[in-house]
Amino acid sequence: CTSAPVRPPAPAVDAAEAQARQQERQQRLEVIPAWSMQGRIAVSVGDKGGSGRLDWQQQGPAYRVSLGAPVTRQSWRLSGEPGGATLEGLEGGPYSGPDAEALLWQATGWPIPVEAMAWWVRGLPAPAGAGQEFGDDGRLRRLVADGWTVDYQEWQPAADGWPEMPRRLQASRDGARVRLVVDRWEAAP
Amino acid sequence: GARDELNRFTSGLKGLEGQFSQQVFDANGRAKESSSGKVAVSAPRLFRWEYVKPFAQLIVADGQKVWVYEPDLQQASVRAQGEEERNSPLVALFDPARLDRQFDVSEEAAASDGLQWLTLTPKVDAEANFQMARLGFGPQGLARMQVLDLVGQKTEISFEGWKRNPAFAAGTFQFTPGRDVDVVGQ
Repeated sequence: CTSAPVRPPAPAVDAAEAQARQQERQQRLEVIPAWSMQGRIAVSVGDKGGSGRLDWQQQGPAYRVSLGAPVTRQSWRLSGEPGGATLEGLEGGPYSGPDAEALLWQATGWPIPVEAMAWWVRGLPAPAGAGQEFGDDGRLRRLVADGWTVDYQEWQPAADGWPEMPRRLQASRDGARVRLVVDRWEAAP
Repeated sequence: GARDELNRFTSGLKGLEGQFSQQVFDANGRAKESSSGKVAVSAPRLFRWEYVKPFAQLIVADGQKVWVYEPDLQQASVRAQGEEERNSPLVALFDPARLDRQFDVSEEAAASDGLQWLTLTPKVDAEANFQMARLGFGPQGLARMQVLDLVGQKTEISFEGWKRNPAFAAGTFQFTPGRDVDVVGQ
């Protein structure tokens, strides 16, 4: 049988070039302060966890994150901004508190760093900074911050006003793991 | 009215198989999601809810456990089958007698969309996690289910192609996770 013509592998993108691309992505995303994302999330903490459909809406620092359970999509909704969050839709709720991550953790056992995730999900380090690793293809491959390691497994090509955006990522920290598949990015009007 | 339609639909009903399409709207009525797939129910406790489009997801209740398998996320969660099923509006499909125990059921006076409707409001003590549900009945029986959850999100599921008391394929109500699938308890 004939073997497929072997294309020489693309030359690895050097670090400076990768940094420059990431900088350019960051600038392009800074002009989209209001955006929304639909996707699916699976969380595991030791042998506990769950999954659902994620609808993430962000207006600058303010977020509204809702998760739909399978079938009837009964959901909880976490909304707020740095310094104050409210979790609705869960029995005994709504719950409010200064720290969204703690609120979500107490009510659901899911350890999601909500404020940082708003950056990580877009393939950006949170303002507090993060260690960044780039792949040979010049794309961000890993972020390390606040004890979390975020691995970017798949990117979707640049399209309709968006630069390249993450399509599949996994954030892990000690026994906890958050897997995310992004189905749609939308810039809010 | 709708109550007679429910009785007619569920009398002598042991099992059901059909297709569904689902639309989800957020609290401001913005369409968030549309998906479709196949559903199978075998009274009193077995059900299979298989999303095919836009992506695969499988929910199987085998009588003891409920599996939620997300192939794209390589994760399956499993929990004991129990309360959640009993206070889900789906219970009308396979345990209609329970309907009146779990919900305040009322017939809507007028048909709409060519269907006769029942409105279900969870009884105060039933820890249902939705505000209200509506079941719409047409010539083929249950044609539509709407669920309004506690944060104002509306899910609308349309059913079609019902097969009554079908012979289910072996393994319809079983799930075995593959080796590469992480299994978590809920």
